[in-house]
Amino acid sequence: MIVMEVRDLTKRFGGLVAVDHVTFQANEGEVLSIIGPNGAGKSTLFKLITSFLPRTAGRVIFQGEDITGLSAHLVARKGVVRTFQETTIFKEMSALENVVIAHHLRGRATSVGLFLNTRVARQDEAAFRDSADEILDYLGLSRVKQEEARHLPHGHLRALGIAIAMACDPKMLLLDEPFSGMNPEETDRMVEMVRGIRDRGVTILLVEHDMRAVMRLSDRIIVLNFGRKIADGTPREIQNDEAVIEAYIGREDDELGI
Amino acid sequence: MSLRVAAALVGLALHLVVVPFVFRESRYLLGVLTTASVLSLISLGVWLTFAIGRINIGQAAFALVGGYTTAILSVKLGVSFWLCLPASGLAAALVGAVIGWPILRLKGVYFAMITLTLSEAARLAALNGGTITQGATGILNIPLPGEVTVAGVVLVPAFRALNVHLAFYYLAAILLVLGLFTVTRIASCRLGWIFRSLRQDEALAASIGVNVAKYRVLAFALGCFFAGIAGAFFTVSQQSIYPSSFGVPDSVYFMLYCFLGGLSYVSGPVVGAFVLFLGFELLHGLREYQMLTYAAIMITVMLWLPNGLLSLRLPARPDMKADTA
Amino acid sequence: MNYALIALGITLIFAIMGVLNFAHGQMYVLGGFVTYYVYGVFGLNYFVALAASAVTVACVGLAFERFLFRRVLRITTREESTMLLAAGTALLLDSLGLALFGEKQRGVAPVVAGVYEIFGAFVPASRALIFVLAFGLVGALLLFIQYTRPGRALRAIAQDKETAALQGVDINRYSALGFALGAALAGLAGGLLVTVFAVNAGAGTPISIKAFIMIMIGGAGVVSGAILGAFVLGFSEALGYFFIPGSTTYLMILVGLIVFLIFRPQGIMGKPWG
Repeated sequence: MIVMEVRDLTKRFGGLVAVDHVTFQANEGEVLSIIGPNGAGKSTLFKLITSFLPRTAGRVIFQGEDITGLSAHLVARKGVVRTFQETTIFKEMSALENVVIAHHLRGRATSVGLFLNTRVARQDEAAFRDSADEILDYLGLSRVKQEEARHLPHGHLRALGIAIAMACDPKMLLLDEPFSGMNPEETDRMVEMVRGIRDRGVTILLVEHDMRAVMRLSDRIIVLNFGRKIADGTPREIQNDEAVIEAYIGREDDELGI
Repeated sequence: MSLRVAAALVGLALHLVVVPFVFRESRYLLGVLTTASVLSLISLGVWLTFAIGRINIGQAAFALVGGYTTAILSVKLGVSFWLCLPASGLAAALVGAVIGWPILRLKGVYFAMITLTLSEAARLAALNGGTITQGATGILNIPLPGEVTVAGVVLVPAFRALNVHLAFYYLAAILLVLGLFTVTRIASCRLGWIFRSLRQDEALAASIGVNVAKYRVLAFALGCFFAGIAGAFFTVSQQSIYPSSFGVPDSVYFMLYCFLGGLSYVSGPVVGAFVLFLGFELLHGLREYQMLTYAAIMITVMLWLPNGLLSLRLPARPDMKADTA
Repeated sequence: MNYALIALGITLIFAIMGVLNFAHGQMYVLGGFVTYYVYGVFGLNYFVALAASAVTVACVGLAFERFLFRRVLRITTREESTMLLAAGTALLLDSLGLALFGEKQRGVAPVVAGVYEIFGAFVPASRALIFVLAFGLVGALLLFIQYTRPGRALRAIAQDKETAALQGVDINRYSALGFALGAALAGLAGGLLVTVFAVNAGAGTPISIKAFIMIMIGGAGVVSGAILGAFVLGFSEALGYFFIPGSTTYLMILVGLIVFLIFRPQGIMGKPWG
């Protein structure tokens, strides 16, 4: 079942076309990876889908509903949540506090209710804490949950970023280079975690450079080059796709000056 | 009973009972403390904007809005002060919300500069407000607060009939306590955490579903509300208001009070306002060197205690922080 | 033209140090006072007086940079700290001016007498002189920034402090230079204009506000923006006062500015931020 459909999504920055009429579909419960050489427009695509950048043209349809142009927080409310490429967390809060506050969307109390600390507000808070503990545990962060976020090592920070996204109870998770800067062990662990999240029923859209991880994890892969989709298929199909090979190797030649 | 709660109760007792009783005949002292209380209130408002990560040098504008609202309502329409007071707060909050919506998109120096412009623009607006604001002459002869009777019972006697200075002192004290309580409450409930998330990373906050625009305006408007109330207070205590009653230098002071008290602490602006304002008055004897010494001391504090005066005593309690790093 | 001097000064400081010099107006006033004393009271040559103004204010700027800003920049964690320190310095200079010079206004007689007629308009010779001098100073400054080694160092720091440091530029020394230079410009502007308008100790704040407005219009931290902003403001003022006497003009300018900034917060030439 198709859970998200992206049609002709385009982004122009002045004369530069960063994303060029990209069209694809994501099926429910799959891991769909988006790969491509540097500058191919992958992260821009994410930002367009989650409304962190205004689109020039195109539509995004999620669960049958047109979510194009909705403001960023509403997109999250619909169930489409992204992580960030840089280690983006709330630096001065502890890991636990980071994840608790990320439950924002699940809050039932109104602003006034929060102020007055009504029963609903307190129930929310308790539920959030329990849920946060569970999420942190799942991502292996239990031991450091009281640590101030900015003191965490890199691997934990990426995990925390995912924990934050998970607290939103997403139906679709957009992971922006979650494996960057990880050694093979950390990568393996992360692959398992992402699989686990998928198994919970979350569709995953993944932007990544680490080919090993991508090949192991993905059900399908989309390849972008210069903002255009040049291939769409299973990992095996992509590995043998000529256009893809050309895109990557062609780039390499440029870099080597050959 | 924790140390904090005990300290708060002691402070409350001092502020509401001991001081007014002991100094009830000293006009000067009561006046100074009253002013300090109200300045604290305004600074608390500025603190709220610091809490969402904005530097607000426009608070004077909203104090002016509040002040003129009260002046116009009570002089031209004969509205009782007790209605003017909340009305002024609401007026200031409304203006704050309307202006805040577009300008809160800016950050850092740019936001600071545009709020600075607001302070000046408000003064000019009052100056050129024609018959409504009476321009440079201001609005004078504003009546003192009248009495409040409910079902025949006098809750608050008319100020005319009382030791006026004491009456204003109590009003200021109560307003401050209410204000401080409100801000403390906000800081420690989830609203405070939402604001904190805005300050630390707006993009991340949006990605977890926080309606960034709405909460920004909420914090800002709330800050303006405090300014409006304070403006109303000063208008009746001075019984007059002029375009120059609140201006750019005042905005800068409010900001400085917050900063020097300690932005990590809710009571920072209160401590800052009291210490600095009382300090200023204490230097009275230095006459022409008063301002100079004052400025020098302020700078010294900035150099040696960059996190504010309160950082001397207290490590910031996590749920009270308003700091950015 | 004089406005351009002020705008350039504050832009320089902002570009190099990232500090909004709240005290800029006060430095202008200080410059005016120094010229008043040197030229008006002691009777020395006007240009000597101007130089004295520049040097005095530059020293103040240097002192601020070295003892205050450098320290705070090092130990603070918040970005607001330097701005608040700047506000504090403004207060300091304001009160210093008050204490040293009292509240009276001081003015200086025009340096040259007579009136020129240019294109049918009567231009007092003194104003013409100021214009020429200011023009010359702005030009000299631009040349300095563009072609000399220190100038290029300043530009490098303004563009990217870290990279400049990596390239071996002594940040501390050039920050000091930048601040001193920016301050000197303010002082010179004050010295120039004291022949036309009187200065008094309290005039600092409105001038600082004008400086802010100029860089808001033109774009903070960009030299071309400063000049542009100065012209736009000068022009709007002249035009406004012509049609609408009184302070309403300024109100309209401010409101216009606020609306403008909502749509283009970085000013006309400013770099897009955040």
